[in-house]
Order: sequence, then C-alpha cells, then structure tokens
Amino acid sequence: MRRRRTGSRDVPRGPEPRQPGRVLDARLHLLDRQVLDVDGMPVCTLDDLELEAVDGRSAPDEPIDGSVPVVVAALLTGPVLGTRVFGGRPPASRWHRLSWAHVVDIGTAVRLSVRSDDLDATWLERWTHDHIIGRIPGGHHDPESS
Amino acid sequence: MKSRLLTVALGILTAIGGFLDAGDLVTNAVVGSRFGLSLAWVVVVGVVGICVFAHMSGKVAAVSGRATFEIIRERLGPTTAGLNLAASLAVTVLTLIAEVGGIALALQLASSVDHRLWVPVAALAVWLVLWRVKFNLMENVTGLLGLALVGFAVAVFLLGPDWGDLAAQLVPQVPVQESAAVYWYFAVALFGAAMTPYEVFFFSSGGVEDRWTVKDLATSRLNVLVGFPLGGLLSISIAACAAIVLLPAGIQVDSMSQLTLPIAEAGGTLLVAVVIVGLVAATFGAALETALSTGYTLSQYLGWSWGKFRRPVHAPRFHLAMILALVVAVGVLMTNVDPIAVTEYSVVFSAVALPLTYLPILVVANDPEYMGEHVNGRVMNLLGTVYLVILVVAALAAIPLMIATEAGG
Repeated sequence: MRRRRTGSRDVPRGPEPRQPGRVLDARLHLLDRQVLDVDGMPVCTLDDLELEAVDGRSAPDEPIDGSVPVVVAALLTGPVLGTRVFGGRPPASRWHRLSWAHVVDIGTAVRLSVRSDDLDATWLERWTHDHIIGRIPGGHHDPESS
Repeated sequence: MKSRLLTVALGILTAIGGFLDAGDLVTNAVVGSRFGLSLAWVVVVGVVGICVFAHMSGKVAAVSGRATFEIIRERLGPTTAGLNLAASLAVTVLTLIAEVGGIALALQLASSVDHRLWVPVAALAVWLVLWRVKFNLMENVTGLLGLALVGFAVAVFLLGPDWGDLAAQLVPQVPVQESAAVYWYFAVALFGAAMTPYEVFFFSSGGVEDRWTVKDLATSRLNVLVGFPLGGLLSISIAACAAIVLLPAGIQVDSMSQLTLPIAEAGGTLLVAVVIVGLVAATFGAALETALSTGYTLSQYLGWSWGKFRRPVHAPRFHLAMILALVVAVGVLMTNVDPIAVTEYSVVFSAVALPLTYLPILVVANDPEYMGEHVNGRVMNLLGTVYLVILVVAALAAIPLMIATEAGG
C-alpha cells in the first residue's frame, strides 16, 4: 500500500514552521481513534493513514522522505491487529480505505459524513447481522421501546 | 422535584442491591466462618476503592461520551491495550462463569433440583434479558430484588449476638487456628471480590448506555457514595452471620446452603425464602453485568458497534460476543466444576488483573483532551494513586499466596 515512513530519520530538518489552523499529530489524534458514521454509529478503529504527495508526481511505491509535502488521502482500517502488535506489513488487500473527503470532524472520535452500512470496512458487521443475529427472533426489536 | 427525588432514591437502592455478586457472597461467608470479623477492614478498604474508581469511570463516560476501553486503546496503543483486554476478558469470563453458577446454586436451594440442570436455564434467561430488555429496567429490577439480601443484616439482629464480642472481632488480627499467609490470602481475595475489575467497564459503558451528561454527575456520585458503602455493610453482615453461627460450630462454607444456615437459624423458612430471592437477583444482575462487560470491552477495543440501547441487529458482533461468552460459561459449568471453587478462584484472579484495569482509567481521568475542565482534582488523584499502590501489592501477592497456602487450604 501507499503507506510510507515520513523521512524524519533520514533527512535532518529544522523545527516545523507554525501552521495556520489546527495541528494534528497523526499518532496522538488519529491512530487508534474510534471512527463514527454520520449517525454516530461506531464504524471501526483507525489503524493507519494513507499519505499522498501533494503534486502527485511521485510514483505510488516511491518512499516518502519528508522532502515532498504530503496530504492524508485516506483512513485505513482492517483486520491488521497482528502486524500492528507484532510488526511487519500486512498485504495491501487487507486494508479498507475510508476516503479523507468523508471526514467531517476530529475530536474525541473521528466523524464521517457517510453511513456505516455503505462502507466496505463494516462487511463483517453486516455478515454477522445477515447470517446470525438477524436470524434470531427479536433481533430487530428496539430495546428502548419496551 | 418529586420525580428527581425518586430517581435518586431508586439509584441508591439499586446501587445497594447491585453491589453484591457471587464473589462477595461466597468470599464473605467463607471469611466470616474462618476469621470472624477480623477481615472486615478489607471490605472497608475495597468499598472506598470501588467508590473512587466507579465515580472516575462514570465521570469519564459522562464528560467525553466515550467508554473506557475505546480510550484505553487510543491512549495506550494496540499492544498494551491488547494485553489489558486479554487479562480483563479472561477475568470477566471467569466471573461470568461464577455468576451463572451462582444463579444455578441459588435456584437449587429453592427447588432441590441439581444445579447443573439449572445452568442452561439460567444462561438462557440471562441471554433473553440481554437480548430484549431495556437497560434501565434490567438494572432497576435486579438491583431492587437484590435488596432482599438485607435479610442477612436482619438475621444478625435476630441472632442476638454478644455485641461486645462481635465488635472485639473487628480488630485486624490473625486468629490462633489460622496462619498469617492464609489470613493475607483471604484478605487479597476479599479485596478482589469488592473491587472486581468488570465493574469499571460496566460503569463507564453503562453511563454511555444511560446517556449520562455532566448534569447527571451529581446524581451518579450520590448513588455511588451512599449506595456502595451500604452495600459494603451488607457484605460485612454476611461475614457477621457466618461468624456468629458457623465459626463457633467449626463449619466451613463450601456450598451455597451453608450460606443460608445462619439465616434459617435466625428467621426460619420465611427469611431463607427472602434471602434466596436476593441471592438469585444479585447473581443474575452480576451475570448480566459481566456478560455485558465482555461485549463492551471487546467491541470497544476493536471499534465495533456496541450497546444495549441499540437494536441487536445494529450491534451484531457485540451481541455475538455475549452469546459466545455465555456458551463458554455453560460449557465450563457443565464439566461438573464446583461453582463455589470457580468463584473463589475468580476473586483471586480479579485481584491479579486489578492494576491493569484501574491504571488506564486513572490516566484517562487526567487527560484534558477527553475531560476538559473535569480532569481529576488533587484529592481524587491522591486517592487514585494510593489505591493503585495497594492494587499492585495485592496483585503481586495474590499468586504466591495462592501457591503457598494451597488456595487457602
């Protein structure tokens, strides 16, 4: 996938210039945050970010070394706990992408402007729904109404 | 105003009734029958501790709207939080097994039908409540019926003990017939029973289920600060009953029926019937809470949709996790293990897992990003830190003491 190391280890850099707006630390404010859909329904936990060079000049597999400005293209999630805990890289097919364009707010959770049902990332949730929980009588009952 | 008073009263009553679970019931009776009231101080220490941390986790949920395990993963990362999850989940499932076993044993007392026949019935009933019943209703009914355990306090008065003698037992000392190691082993067990780790997850997630806001904080604090100490008093009265009747007779508690021996002596069949209702309600309530806690911790760590306030089809993996936990509980109990023994082990392993579950909540309660102006004050942090030291000591001592005393021999 297009996930790459930013090159702080390779290229000596001065202190970051002050940026307008809010500065987000990827590790502190994004990774492992709960992602919620437009209705406040939990979607997933954020596992990684997909970065893209601003000008789009660099090829997708070229390592990003910090010399090119990059933007966050997508939030990544998926069944990747194994590699996150023990290291290594999961195969690209494991990732589910949530486009950065859908992000509306980053607070104590990351909020999206789309519905969780429309996302690939929640297929397992839907599968469990369709094949197990939805088939047990009363699964559609609203507990708040009784 | 009237309805507000009613809400507060209801909250306090359910907190008293909901305080006791199978671990508290069994451990207090065992301790009372062997050590009299010389370990009652541990219950006091435990109650203060659970008040501090229950309040903290309720506050985190009310202010940030996020439940504890989401924040644990976010702040500690997948590896540390994963270890935490593994430990918490193992202890919570062990507690669930103990609670389902407890329901079955209490029903056996009432019906004389073997407890193994009751186990699937009990688990099915627990699942049905999880599947259908509204969160508030579930909490209130089990909490209020659990109040029937006041029968233990009534029994203490009916037994008419020598109060001076009973008060003299309150001094922490190792009885002559027991060794110091055994005394401390049961001190750790009692502490683990009072502070069972699932409670933190349950309170924080329950706050989200109940849609607590900052406005509800005062009410929740009152529930905890009044309800739990009174619940602790009930714990001590169980130990007192055992100390008055079982200790002089040299009877050691190894079944649920011995728990009700003092009750039968004090108040006859009627009081026993009342207490059995309390036993069923208390263990049933705790089984619901532990089952929910397994779902909460797993779902929050993995980012799944969760919560009883949602329709089951809108939180499918959460409900599946709880079903699996109940299936495991039934499976284990069907192997003919002694539910009382499972309970005794579950409280000791609870003590081992305590620091892992309580440290993160202390960290989060100090996080201005989540808590804003509601971060912990100095007093809370001091109390929290003191308790963390106690928790670590208890956790480190638990396993060596268990081996040295052959689990209390």
